[in-house]
Amino acid sequence: MNQLNGYLVLLPILIPLTGAAAGLLMRTRHRLQAGWSFGSMLTSLVFSLTMLYQVWDRSAPIVFQLGGYPAPFGISLVGDLLSATMVVMSQIVLTAGILYALDSKDQVTQYPTFYPLFLMLAAGLTGGMLTGDLFNLFVFTELLVISAAILTSISDDKLGTEAAYKYFYISLLAAIFLLIGTGLLYASYGTLNIAQLAQLIGADNEQALVPIAMVFILAFFMVKSAVIPFHFWQPDFHTAAPTPVHAVLSSVVVKLGIYGFFRMTTLLFVGQAAAIQDLLVVLGVAGIFFGGLGATGTYDAKRMLAYSTLGQLGFILVAIGWGTTLSLIAAIVYAFNHSLLKAAMLMLAGSVASRAPVKTAAFSAIVGLGKSVPLAGVLFLLGSMGLAGIPPTNGFVSKFALFNSGIQAQEYLPLALLALASIITVIYTTRAFQKIWWEPLPESVHPKKYGDRLIAPTILISLCLVLGLWGEPLLQLASATVDWMGLPAEYIQAVLGG
Amino acid sequence: MEIFTALAIGVSFGIGIFQLLRRNLIRSAIGIIIISNAVNLFLLSAGAYQGEVAAYTTVIGQRADALPQALVLTAIVISVGGFAFVLEMLYILSIRYHTSDSDEVNRLKY
Repeated sequence: MNQLNGYLVLLPILIPLTGAAAGLLMRTRHRLQAGWSFGSMLTSLVFSLTMLYQVWDRSAPIVFQLGGYPAPFGISLVGDLLSATMVVMSQIVLTAGILYALDSKDQVTQYPTFYPLFLMLAAGLTGGMLTGDLFNLFVFTELLVISAAILTSISDDKLGTEAAYKYFYISLLAAIFLLIGTGLLYASYGTLNIAQLAQLIGADNEQALVPIAMVFILAFFMVKSAVIPFHFWQPDFHTAAPTPVHAVLSSVVVKLGIYGFFRMTTLLFVGQAAAIQDLLVVLGVAGIFFGGLGATGTYDAKRMLAYSTLGQLGFILVAIGWGTTLSLIAAIVYAFNHSLLKAAMLMLAGSVASRAPVKTAAFSAIVGLGKSVPLAGVLFLLGSMGLAGIPPTNGFVSKFALFNSGIQAQEYLPLALLALASIITVIYTTRAFQKIWWEPLPESVHPKKYGDRLIAPTILISLCLVLGLWGEPLLQLASATVDWMGLPAEYIQAVLGG
Repeated sequence: MEIFTALAIGVSFGIGIFQLLRRNLIRSAIGIIIISNAVNLFLLSAGAYQGEVAAYTTVIGQRADALPQALVLTAIVISVGGFAFVLEMLYILSIRYHTSDSDEVNRLKY
């Protein structure tokens, strides 16, 4: 039974990967390939939910040693509460993304390698969150990066290749940062296993190369989640991506960096965590304002939501930076809720834009188009309320947890700035809603009769409402996760054994 | 021998960063390739001076650490794929934009 449990960590990575390989064989039969990909993603989601249930139920992580080699020598996959929560969050959104792509009107979804690449992206993201080995993290992020870049470069948007080039270039640099950090840590401690590294760094803090390695790994995660000095690729890249891919990129792919910050501050560099946390608070506040103001000033619905991601990630960074138990709980809840909300809103914006006579999401082209899809308007309004933190959506739960933790930690200056920035969120989402659903349709514009269907965003927004009205399970999960993150010694023992 | 390896790594990093900061897209792509190779050398040097004979052979002596070599091999394979993709995208960009000036390949900003 124990052995069977171990495979639960492997399956959420293995199913999308084999699904992608098998999907390539079905490239001539498009409907079959699409259905197969959706099926594998759904199976993978079921297994990751099972994994989360098992980990939570036994309150011990599931560790799988690849190839049967014992821990510091082989590669271990570690499914602890933090990884499992993040994986479940990612796979919900990824499944919704494939569901949206199934009947998307974008040409790119007819491309024979679209679904295999999408599954590769899923495998890379899941693997990056589940791996317990620093070099393996590099391998999985490269898989993620190259699939995302190819998916964008074949986008319907003519500027897709330019966007993909910018992203891929900065991601190659990020990979180099991670390799340098890995090399420095290996030269100092002679291991790549995260658990053993955490043990050795905790025991011997004085190695000269540790701060340098920490900075390089921090820079890697900052590029991954578009934290402020490394943010410039994000709006460009996300805007040009096809809608189903954009929904995944802007909501869960950027959370890989957030996961990395959690791991760095609570496991890998516990001794140096204070320095990282101070930096994250400053950069987070800067990101909130930059993202909010950027979103207010854009002329494109999808670009607005991409900028909004920069701002919303800032809230999570500030919560990680405060570093108290309550604020870490708030950060996890915020990350979970933001993924669902942002993915749903992007799908809604994309769905309206798919009815425009020209292929764009610019406000000038989609003014008044929402009149023919009132359901999308209702859902978009609910999503905006969630982003701004108005009940009964889950955004209220996460904002409430965040501000509550800030008051407990007595961080009044950042809190005042956060409250100010929350108003900006209301401004830009209301502006988008007014442009698309309130203003009359111009006489000269003849929208297409059919656009993308609303099944996937409806499911996501219903999940948001459920989590808003009944947020207790998520809060409990988050608080169990933070309790677990406070015990790095148990993580180390679980991975290394003995 | 260490001093030569260190110098080689440092010089490759220097050349790579200089090329990376050029305006020309192709030159900056070459820069990133050079930096990537410098990083591979650096990873290799992390375990280069600990043993005398190759690992997994029957020769008697202190074994070299094989892990950095395995890492570099993986990193090289991944970066070859990445560079092929970069060059391919540069080819498409040069057809669409008729320039290699990075300031002019910037139609997404408005």
